[in-house]
Amino acid sequence: MGTFLLGVIGVTSVGIYILGSRGLGLSGRGLPAAVGKMLECIGTALVFFVLNLAVTMTVIFISRGLGEGLVSLYLAGDVAWLILSLFQAVTFQWWRELSRRGGENAVNRRR
Amino acid sequence: MGWSSMSRTLGIIGVLGFLIAAFTPFVNVLARWQATPGQLEPAEAIVVLGADSAGRDGTLGTTSLRRVIHGIVLHRRGLAPLLVLSGHASPEGRSEAEARADLARVLGVSSDGILTESGARTTREEAERIKELLRPRGVRRILLVTDSPHMMRARGVFERAGFEVLPAPTDESPLLVSRAPEDRLQVLRRILQAYAARFYYRVAGYL
Repeated sequence: MGTFLLGVIGVTSVGIYILGSRGLGLSGRGLPAAVGKMLECIGTALVFFVLNLAVTMTVIFISRGLGEGLVSLYLAGDVAWLILSLFQAVTFQWWRELSRRGGENAVNRRR
Repeated sequence: MGWSSMSRTLGIIGVLGFLIAAFTPFVNVLARWQATPGQLEPAEAIVVLGADSAGRDGTLGTTSLRRVIHGIVLHRRGLAPLLVLSGHASPEGRSEAEARADLARVLGVSSDGILTESGARTTREEAERIKELLRPRGVRRILLVTDSPHMMRARGVFERAGFEVLPAPTDESPLLVSRAPEDRLQVLRRILQAYAARFYYRVAGYL
């Protein structure tokens, strides 16, 4: 089953590459940089995921220590944390990217 | 190391970790390694731990059903005269313990052999409350029914409560041998949750 899944992903990836390079005229040399950006995004998502879990665990421990009702430890294992952290990471990465481009454009205008 | 190179390195680790967890037998090996083997011997009571609240109409979740059916099977095999069913009530529904007791009666367990405990919300509270329930009956040796990742922590708190615990983990072999990526990730998540909870119990002094 895993092999089938990876096979389909491989086939569609090749299809997208052909469509991108021939149909849309995208540069093949830009692909490794795009993979690098994707890895940065995943890494940033992991940082936010750990941060979110640390805050959650702290809140759970404090609330349990104060006896303010019971917050389940299993809340920290919800898969939604991972997806929400990915949303945060994509937004953060684009914010960095656009801010950097904005800075470069300002420098170019000054020249 | 700048943010970009650090996040890129973490990204590589994350992607490799995901591929190993989802597409190799690593998780299956890990699950088998950390599983507690069953010790199905005669006891004085079978204790089935709670899993999730019953729905408004008394519907039990998959994990809850798997545990209670395992407990009923052990009871029907004559391994213990008492079947203790735990499970708290959600605000809008009936208690999981009562829903399980109804199921046990329908499947042929006599009402005299069933005890329910619906006030506990954590494993530690279950151990304390079930101790109060069983101590007057002189019960000390119990068969403990829960799923494999939960067993180590549950066994620890019940032993600390004074019970002699015989582990009776629910059979999760379909998950342990599954080759589906989603199943492997689910098993990994449960193992990590179980380790995090054990860490918390140790820090809090419950184990």
